[in-house]
Amino acid sequence: MVRKGIADKIAIIGCDATKFGELWDKNQYDLLYEAVKGARDDAGITKDEIDATWVGIFYFFTGLSGAVVEDILRMDGKPVTRTENYCASGMDAFRNACFALAGNAYDVVLACGVEKLMDEASSGLPGFELFGHPTLPIPSAPAMFSLAATRSFHTWGWTKEDLARVAVKNHENGSHHPKAHFRRPTTIQKVMNDVMIADPLGRSDCCAMSDGAAALILTRVEDAPSYSSHKDDYIVVKANAISCQTNTPWYNPNHTFTSFPATVKAAEMAYKEAGITDPRKQIDCAEVHDCFTITELLNCQDLQFCEMGMAAEELKNGTFNWDGETAVNPSGGLKSFGHPIGATGCRMLTEVTKQLQGRAEGRQTPDAKIGLAHNLGGAFCVCSTSILGQAD
Amino acid sequence: MPGTKALANSDEDSITMGVEAGLDCISGIDPKTIDGLFFATTTQVYTEKNSAAFIANILDLRDEIITADFTDSLRAGTTAVCRAVEAIKANKDIKRILVIAADTREPEPGTFWEYGLSDGAAALLIAEEDLLPISIDDYYSVSANVTGPWKKPTDKFIKTFQDKMDNKFYFESLTKAMSGLLERNNLKPEDIASAAYHYHDPRVLGIVSKMMKFPQGVAQNGLFLQVGCVGTPMAFLLLMSVLRRPKPEAKIIFAGYGDGADAILLQIKDKDLLKTLKQGRMGLLKHQKSMVPLKNYNTLIENKKLIDRNRYSRRSSAVTLWRDTKSLYQMYGIKCKNCGMIQYPAMFKGCYNCRTDDQFEFVKLSLKGTVFTYTLDHLYGGSYLNTPVPRCIIDLEGGGRIMLDMTEIENPTENVKIDMQVELTFRLMHEGGEFRNYYWKCRPVRGRP
Repeated sequence: MVRKGIADKIAIIGCDATKFGELWDKNQYDLLYEAVKGARDDAGITKDEIDATWVGIFYFFTGLSGAVVEDILRMDGKPVTRTENYCASGMDAFRNACFALAGNAYDVVLACGVEKLMDEASSGLPGFELFGHPTLPIPSAPAMFSLAATRSFHTWGWTKEDLARVAVKNHENGSHHPKAHFRRPTTIQKVMNDVMIADPLGRSDCCAMSDGAAALILTRVEDAPSYSSHKDDYIVVKANAISCQTNTPWYNPNHTFTSFPATVKAAEMAYKEAGITDPRKQIDCAEVHDCFTITELLNCQDLQFCEMGMAAEELKNGTFNWDGETAVNPSGGLKSFGHPIGATGCRMLTEVTKQLQGRAEGRQTPDAKIGLAHNLGGAFCVCSTSILGQAD
Repeated sequence: MPGTKALANSDEDSITMGVEAGLDCISGIDPKTIDGLFFATTTQVYTEKNSAAFIANILDLRDEIITADFTDSLRAGTTAVCRAVEAIKANKDIKRILVIAADTREPEPGTFWEYGLSDGAAALLIAEEDLLPISIDDYYSVSANVTGPWKKPTDKFIKTFQDKMDNKFYFESLTKAMSGLLERNNLKPEDIASAAYHYHDPRVLGIVSKMMKFPQGVAQNGLFLQVGCVGTPMAFLLLMSVLRRPKPEAKIIFAGYGDGADAILLQIKDKDLLKTLKQGRMGLLKHQKSMVPLKNYNTLIENKKLIDRNRYSRRSSAVTLWRDTKSLYQMYGIKCKNCGMIQYPAMFKGCYNCRTDDQFEFVKLSLKGTVFTYTLDHLYGGSYLNTPVPRCIIDLEGGGRIMLDMTEIENPTENVKIDMQVELTFRLMHEGGEFRNYYWKCRPVRGRP
């Protein structure tokens, strides 16, 4: 399937992200400019050294086409492509940027993502009334993932308390991160008693609406040492995988709702490409999509960090703590950062890059050598999984 | 007088209730053998667009049928029955006509109308066949230009000038029609076993009975205090309550009132056949038992849209609805010719199970199933109306998986469960783009066949 991947061909030579949150005083141009400027400075390059750009944007109101990038950088007509792939929009920008380098089309590319959600004054993700079939029922994002929570409770005997532990862990991690939207720890009781959104998921089981942007500068591995800023600690892309599945899982008679086939498949592809045979032991830190608490638990299983049905137990035992066997969301995850959709994937990749470079802005996973970033979007329809590693 | 009355839910209107009555009525009968559908209502959803054709489409009747809406009068139901008889007699290709009556008349809060006006639907299959449970022997109509009530197209509520004056027309028209029918058939009042005639108040029922000199027990009463006056289908429901205890060869008067009256003479022909037909259907009794008490008056006025609340608004496409009719209205799924898996909706091109491309045949899906998983949505698209709304993934009996909202469930937090049995019911989904989007929902089992 993955005939000739891009393992060990592409290097990350600079990255940055903005603070995430309700950034009323900033627009999408401010945010993306800040992230791109930060990544350029991190790489030590000028804007004219960037040959092409991929930008992840989910919502049309954040920006159609790649013009947002042109309007912050005045790139003199260089190519910009907007990628939209639900929550994987940002990571798909990164993936396509990698492929362009691997194909020797360019020497230096920019992969970035931005989303400006808070201008829409919506109490949940806006625009659901516009999507899909005009008559068939469309559940909100919390309702979609609640369908999995209810079934997981039934199948594995998980409880709301098991879900709450995800929020408690991630908010604890996020409280150490200067760029997180929420920087206060929470408690199991607070999470369990929060107002109900889509039973069994309460408000504290859901990630928040946020604004933010993130950016990465990439080049081919052989050229990486010529960019002075990170010539000794550039990060290498080990795998990029995307799996696409049905966006109406509720019509698939085989769907278990206790596993996300897109995550299972993307993980398989990524591990094969990166040569990972024992993910739990080999992956040191992972930014795993935790749009809802249930999502993280099921993803940990689908990413093979633990046995099926065991995620709640493993979480309780500390396996996924920032200093545990497989650190899951040491940054604080979507639970702490919120989820400006187009930005999230690039933020995760930035987090993992910095973890592997030993310069994490929040909790630093001890001795992290291999890291994973993972997004799951739509009605569990698209999953991107990227694996990064230190240069040999 | 204390009693109960039947009210439509917020996702019901005369069309959806008509579908519900129609489904129950034709249960076990191939819809393709029905040659016409007449729909009677005073609360038509559209003033230009045929509800009968719409309901026929949902019930999966053929295209080559006759359809008509009978509207603007409470008598529309019995009038539709008379016209069905004539159509069958006049046209050799028309053997079976489904007559559905439904109403959701809206009384103004605080007026005397609010006491009795209620919502309901009923259906009768009129047919020319060798074996019939009941025969229609004659009918007799009178017309009257009444003083009230009335409702102009722009009015929200029913209006009247003087209800005592309205009653004068009620007494005159009904007795004239029923007396005319008896006279023409050389029958005396005591020859009639039961009289199921429209009434809107228990007092007027008794007055008509006295005027007609019906013996005690002939005039069908009792229903008003249980369901209220359901409007156009009222006489239908009264007839159905007569048929609970049918006497062999009994003669029945079935009469509707509104701008005049229709009196129809019926006779029980085959008691056993009638009993068999009743056993396969919910009928009046099971529907009455399935009534869910409203929690409070607020729920009622919210349901009736008398409080202006921010409702979830989606976009609409009449074209998409038309194109997907087989899936959306008639509940056809597709069966993979390679692996046999039944799936829904019939829009996708690849098999969920074996991944074969485009090798499907249409199959009619069951309107019953079990809950595979669910959520209780407290936002429902930000409308916060009648929440939480259970949103369920249902495994249909015999195959096919679907996602449906659940309606008319009491205390969902306690009562919705995995493996719960449900049945499908046709409801209003949303009115985005000023277009009414109808689709199926599920509800706890009431026992519709």
